[in-house]
Amino acid sequence: MSTAPVRSSRPHALAGLVRLTSLNVFILFLLISVIFTLLSPSHRLIDPDNITVYLGLGAEFNIVALAVGLLMICGEFDLSVGSILVFCSFSVMKLVFAGENIYLASAITLAIGAAIGFLNGFITVRARIPSFITTLGTMMFWRGVTVFWSEGLQKPFDTTSYFVFTKVFSDPVGGVVPVQFLWFIGITVVLWFALHRRPVGNWIYVTGDNSLAARAMGINTNAVKIGVFAFVGLICGLVAIMQISRTGAFTSRAGDGWELRAIAAAVVGGTSLTGGIGSIAGIFWGALIISLIENGLLVMRIPYFWTYTVFGVVIVGSAILSAFLDKRRSSLGRETG
Amino acid sequence: MGNTKSVLLRILSFKISFTLVVFVALFLVFTIFTPGHIFVSSANLASLARLAPDLGIVALPVGMLMICGEFDVSVPSIIAMSSFVFVNLLGWGVPLAVTPFLTLLVGALMGLMNGILVVKTRIPSFIATLGTQLFWRGILYVTSQMMPIGLRSSLPSGSFFETLLIGNIGGVLPVQILWLVGIALVLGFLVHRHRFGNWIFTTGDNKTAARAMGINTDRVKTACYVVVGVVCSFMAMMQALRIESFAATQGIGMDLRAIASSVVGGVALTGGIGSIPGVFFGTLTIQIIENGLILMGAPVFGINAFIGAVVILFVILNVGIERLSLRAQAAASPAGKGNGQ
Amino acid sequence: MSDSIPDVRPAADGNLVEMRDIHKWFGPIYALRGMNITVKRNEILGLIGDNGAGKSTLIKILSGFHLPDKGEIWFEGKRAHIQSPRDAKALGIETVYQEQALAPHVSISRNVFMGREPTRALGFLDRKVMAVESLNALAKIGLHLRNPESIVETLSGGQRQGVAIARVLYFKAKLVILDEPTIALSVKESQQVMDFMKQLRDEGLSVVFITHNMYHAYQVAERFVIITHGENTADVKKGETSIDHLAELVIGSTPAGGRGSNEA
Repeated sequence: MSTAPVRSSRPHALAGLVRLTSLNVFILFLLISVIFTLLSPSHRLIDPDNITVYLGLGAEFNIVALAVGLLMICGEFDLSVGSILVFCSFSVMKLVFAGENIYLASAITLAIGAAIGFLNGFITVRARIPSFITTLGTMMFWRGVTVFWSEGLQKPFDTTSYFVFTKVFSDPVGGVVPVQFLWFIGITVVLWFALHRRPVGNWIYVTGDNSLAARAMGINTNAVKIGVFAFVGLICGLVAIMQISRTGAFTSRAGDGWELRAIAAAVVGGTSLTGGIGSIAGIFWGALIISLIENGLLVMRIPYFWTYTVFGVVIVGSAILSAFLDKRRSSLGRETG
Repeated sequence: MGNTKSVLLRILSFKISFTLVVFVALFLVFTIFTPGHIFVSSANLASLARLAPDLGIVALPVGMLMICGEFDVSVPSIIAMSSFVFVNLLGWGVPLAVTPFLTLLVGALMGLMNGILVVKTRIPSFIATLGTQLFWRGILYVTSQMMPIGLRSSLPSGSFFETLLIGNIGGVLPVQILWLVGIALVLGFLVHRHRFGNWIFTTGDNKTAARAMGINTDRVKTACYVVVGVVCSFMAMMQALRIESFAATQGIGMDLRAIASSVVGGVALTGGIGSIPGVFFGTLTIQIIENGLILMGAPVFGINAFIGAVVILFVILNVGIERLSLRAQAAASPAGKGNGQ
Repeated sequence: MSDSIPDVRPAADGNLVEMRDIHKWFGPIYALRGMNITVKRNEILGLIGDNGAGKSTLIKILSGFHLPDKGEIWFEGKRAHIQSPRDAKALGIETVYQEQALAPHVSISRNVFMGREPTRALGFLDRKVMAVESLNALAKIGLHLRNPESIVETLSGGQRQGVAIARVLYFKAKLVILDEPTIALSVKESQQVMDFMKQLRDEGLSVVFITHNMYHAYQVAERFVIITHGENTADVKKGETSIDHLAELVIGSTPAGGRGSNEA
């Protein structure tokens, strides 16, 4: 029987398509920016204050989207990012109130995030459960645990005493440029190098594309997946720290709904739902688009309720587009034998 | 030796035995460990009897859909939307003879939309129905402004319809239970004794084979989605009657709990494996867990955490249970029965 | 389509199937380049050729999964318009794929009657008929199992293939197409499957099968058609050839009948 042709991780023809897609996403981003600017009352969208909020606050989500997108490239989903985030938020607070030094608390939290991510990966890979079910379960679990443990713990704490901390994580650089955005750019660059210039990137692509072939080639797909899951958890921990640094308070609603928007960001950015296809650049612009939509709806005074519908359409629409592009790619000479 | 062992093997070869064992075990646990054995107090059991059918009725077609290989997480939105339509229709004076059918039609259409979306675009059903869930939720929130709408002004109590849906037999047995059992029987016969059921199993187990054998798998899946929609609308009406209003929060959480019920009932996430009786007992199990934990003092939010963990646990367990039941079946061989029975 | 030729043109005697001048493109790829294949009544025909030669595509056209871009199919002396698997089945053409044939977690009887379930009133399954007839069908090809409700997953590879084959027999197939029937089977199981194929022929059917395995092909087929790069390059009877000769024909080192393999 004809065997499915194994797509190489950097296929020549497809590389063009992928690059083309991230260019398209960028264009889409510009387009939406222009439209929203025109539609917003007194062009509030490009008001410097708004831009600061968009770039700064939005970056927190964007960073998580990068990690989620990376995981999708290697073929798995993580619906628990919001819950990991809120649990890590909680753990920072809990540790600080217990008297721990904030840096130590942060370090421990990062470790916790990574550990939770590791657990997600481990369960998915070893028990062979579809990742969206595993992470659905862990999503419920960690948020439930957080809410349970945090009852009554709403005291904000004073972050001004930790000015180095906040300088690193939340204060605008030079009073203007939101440092979160710099983090976003920085992480994007690092991931870009890792994915497009290092062997591990190749492993991620191939694992997502055809894990059987990857394993046959000696790549430890289990380790790759667990590793990326752990990375996602780590990133959630990092963003939790950034949020705490910015707000000085813990809220049990942190990260609510981020999982779907992160997936939407990745899909809009050209990441395939079935794995193996995607680029950091695409996810970068995709995340910016999703944050832009949220920000835009706010600025245009559209009732928040509409965001549900909008995101529903965005998710389904981009998924359809993604499936359509996948079919175009694979219908070229698929039949052999 | 021979007889007890072979009887035992025959029992084990039915996968549902495991769900039943878990159910009975948990029932006993909660009976013993809830303060004052309040779990089995008539008040609690009565309350369970009234409320459990909500999830139960919805979980059955969701499980059926999962057997044919797809998911539907837009269930909460179908429920809320149907309730909204129902209460509004009554408010606009549409006669009670017509309203229920229009409401069911809404559910059917929403289900149809899901089905067509999944089948035509080949997007993973989880994502597609997540999208439709959000889509309808947004529309609902905007049109309703999340304000509840009372039912009593348009529908005085004591109507036959209301009694039909949520009345009490002999003042004791809630009619909802009968509806739950009735729907379970209908779907049970459909899935396990009708040829459409064979199409459901084979589509979920090996879609390629089913198509090669001439089964229109697209139509099978779409039909299952429509059934989910209709049943959700039905349940929405029951709920609206019971709480005497439309509430925008109706149905929240049902998507995951329905999946959890199915998983605990032995339905495989990949399709092709499962049973309606399994889902039936699965939903009862999930709900006595929720009920028992609350009675034992667990905070409401913590329960979600537990359910999440339970889902994962059972997905893992199901693989083992499947293997065990196959082995038992092979050992009990000539007389043994198989899946789809 | 050349409709000027009347649909009823007497086919050469004894031919069950004639595929004439079949061409097929997949986008820019020219998969089948004017193939001419005949299948006689009551024979076992082996289709062999290297990967990508077009064997799978050809049988998919015959079983209705693909439509030819050019060419005709004649079945039992009459022009056949096979637009879908249903049309092929209606004619009596059945295909058995390997992994794709059965639902592993479903019982034997339900698998045998997949899509064609015998029913009583209102579409409810006639399970008694299913149980009895499925075992009968299996017995006909020499597979004697006892419990029709056994899950297919519990059967061996050879037995599973047997179920898939018995299924087509039950549904009055005239032509059975097997795609790599012995791949992933043990020696013993392969033998079992080859015996099934012979039983089919003895029941009056014709069998066409695709394989890479020359040894199996040589054991069971009476005639071989070699396919290279979308064309049939050789057509030899068993008596006229040997396993080595077949291998050479496939690789192309021996020009058979003056037809070499064209480069793309």
